[in-house]
Amino acid sequence: MTKEEVQGAAQEEAQAQSKKALKKQQKEAEKAAKKAEKQAKLAAEEQSTEEDDFAKERYGVSAMVQSQQKLDRLLVRVQDLTADKAEQLIWVRARIHTSRAKGKQCFLVLRQQQFNVQALVAVGDRASKQMVKFAANVTKESIVDVEAVVKKVEQKIESCSQQDVELHVERIFVISQAEARLPLQLEDAVRPEGEADEEGRATVNQDTKLDNRVIDLRTTTSQAIFRLQSGVCQLFRDTLTKKGFVEIQTPKIISAASEGGANVFTVSYFKTSAYLAQSPQLYKQMCICADFDKVFCVGPVFRAEDSNTHRHLTEFVGLDIEMAFNYHYHEVIDSITDTMVQIFKGLRDNFQTEIQTVNKQYPSEPFKFLEPTLRLEYTEAVAMLRQAGVEMGDEDDLSTPNEKLLGRLVKEKYDTDFYVLDKYPLSVRPFYTMPDPSDPKYSNSYDMFMRGEEILSGAQRIHDAQLLTERASHHQIDLEKIKAYIDSFRYGAPPHGGGGIGLERVCMLYLGLHNVRQTSMFPRDPKRLTP
Amino acid sequence: MPMYQNGEVDPAVKALEARQDEIMRKLYELKAAVEGLAKTVTTPDADLDLTVSSSLSSHSPSSSCSVLQGTADLNALLGQDLGALRDIVINANPAQPPLTLLVLHGLLCQRYRVLSTVHIHSSVSSVPPQLLSCLGPRHADSYIRQRFQLGFTLIWKDVPKLQMKFSVQNMCPIEGEANVARFLFRLLAPYPSDPALATLVDSWVDTAFFQLAEGSAKERAAVLRALNAALGRGSWLVGSELSLADIACYCCVLRSGPASSTPANVQRWLKSCDNLGLFGPTMALLQ
Repeated sequence: MTKEEVQGAAQEEAQAQSKKALKKQQKEAEKAAKKAEKQAKLAAEEQSTEEDDFAKERYGVSAMVQSQQKLDRLLVRVQDLTADKAEQLIWVRARIHTSRAKGKQCFLVLRQQQFNVQALVAVGDRASKQMVKFAANVTKESIVDVEAVVKKVEQKIESCSQQDVELHVERIFVISQAEARLPLQLEDAVRPEGEADEEGRATVNQDTKLDNRVIDLRTTTSQAIFRLQSGVCQLFRDTLTKKGFVEIQTPKIISAASEGGANVFTVSYFKTSAYLAQSPQLYKQMCICADFDKVFCVGPVFRAEDSNTHRHLTEFVGLDIEMAFNYHYHEVIDSITDTMVQIFKGLRDNFQTEIQTVNKQYPSEPFKFLEPTLRLEYTEAVAMLRQAGVEMGDEDDLSTPNEKLLGRLVKEKYDTDFYVLDKYPLSVRPFYTMPDPSDPKYSNSYDMFMRGEEILSGAQRIHDAQLLTERASHHQIDLEKIKAYIDSFRYGAPPHGGGGIGLERVCMLYLGLHNVRQTSMFPRDPKRLTP
Repeated sequence: MPMYQNGEVDPAVKALEARQDEIMRKLYELKAAVEGLAKTVTTPDADLDLTVSSSLSSHSPSSSCSVLQGTADLNALLGQDLGALRDIVINANPAQPPLTLLVLHGLLCQRYRVLSTVHIHSSVSSVPPQLLSCLGPRHADSYIRQRFQLGFTLIWKDVPKLQMKFSVQNMCPIEGEANVARFLFRLLAPYPSDPALATLVDSWVDTAFFQLAEGSAKERAAVLRALNAALGRGSWLVGSELSLADIACYCCVLRSGPASSTPANVQRWLKSCDNLGLFGPTMALLQ
């Protein structure tokens, strides 16, 4: 081809193109005109229909509740919507869990905490077409007030907690509108892991859940977990109060570390520095010296360990017990284990719904225990481990894998998920631990385990100032810093012992969950400070 | 083949043969040594067999401690001492308290330092108080587990069949009260060395648990007749001494309730069992 030829061809092409473009423009203009016409028509139609929408007063977005009026309106709880409320006209406040519009009908699932119920908005003499459309367009997670008639259903509604009834909506008002896009879907957040793999559906990973904790806490699983956690605290308090314990409050800003100096948070305290309490240890003991006899304390505890494991948090809730005993520290063990057994029994008997809800997402075997609690001695544990092929010295501390293995061995033989291991080697315990009178290599100390993981560490404490000084200097602790503590034993101190439990760990292990963050409402770890 | 070149055996093969012969010879020696040892253990005059005292009927209930005398050494019976308590765990259903085992527990306590504990498993909601104290009062030393030779841990649990767990590493769980009874009894006294008598003991134990305890009225009556016949020949069921057969049958006869027509020999035998004082505490507990 010559140059001219190429040019010519190009020109022709350009011409053709411009012709085409012209045609296109024309067409588009026509289209736009048609569209405008249609829209105008639609708008007119809408206006006209809006005018004759007879149900206008029955739906809409309410004005923000600023406490303008005090309505004498009874809001029924979703869990109370049962067959014996049939044919009643009631008001409910709930969230829109899901909505599904189908022609002249719109099905809603209304959720209140872990309970939900199906509601139906259908075109009829109570609801207009527009009302159904409005109901279908309310965003998920919005809070609505609904007036409805409770109707029995012929077939059970499997997907809801209230299976026997549905609501026929007469009025629906939005109280608080949620944004259209949710950072995570609630259904995805409660899906069991195995199921998601099979069906190719999404699950939400832990960090996303924790980043959007407020929404994640709305899931049935979270609701159940934290209701159960509240139950643990309550049972702990009730049991101990019945045993004659006194609840105390201790300072969390302290001047000296109680258990080794390495893992404490330092805070600036005016012109000097202070620490965040690792445990209320010293204060519990001072209360014993002050004749409180039996004390317990529920409060935050801080650990500055930079460990990112499934069971470490930097701030958690400690349930601490300290009591004076008469002659043998086993009186303390008996008291603590009995408290734990009462908690387990209380959960087993009163929180079955919650346990089953959690099990739906995180299946686990029911928690097993013995009453009275099984107590093994450290040497026995070492023998059991050695028999299973573990090589360890008599005075070695239990490593985490060995703890777990021991838990499995104990479970196999005694079928219990909860046991006490007594008489730890003295060298692996803190300085205030009382040595064993018959063998100074060992100590009057104990750990308690749930599903093979440690939940409580305790001991008889040294109540003699001189022995305490000796042990402290043996551990190379600066005596000046703990002077106040040692001095409290100089003026007559009863023999005493105790221990501290992590609330989150107890819940995690009772439910057989895999990460302590699941049982901490707003977890704190070396990498997470928000929300 | 190259080995047999020129019809001569290769010297390497010869050496190999010689070595093999040597090994075989050593093995034979070893076998003979083991057989010799076994003989000293199983012959009637070896110490292990001097177990059951022959003058049972003359004992008063208070001296029942010496009913079964053995030199049984727990290390020999249960394997090497590991420096820890040997704990026997028994899972039993509170609906069917294992009477035989409770009786055997009493006997074990007379022989060894036994740490006895009773637990309730979480699968069971409540247990009658007498079952909680069925192993007697707590030992004064029970706070130091290492002071005991044997642990006897009874767990009331929702199990279909009684179960014993001992050495989890090498033993599967033993099921059935009869089998556990056999195991516990061997800690007290060995079975008769005569295989026929030993089998007879086993057979009575089976009869007790399958026909007396679980059988129909007709079967029970048949067993009582058989018991009567056997007891006509001697004062105890097997041989001249009290054996596991007597203990098992006694417990099962009592468990199935007093029959209206207990034969004469059986009645006499029941009385002599009562006189031993072994059963009293157990039976009293369960009434």
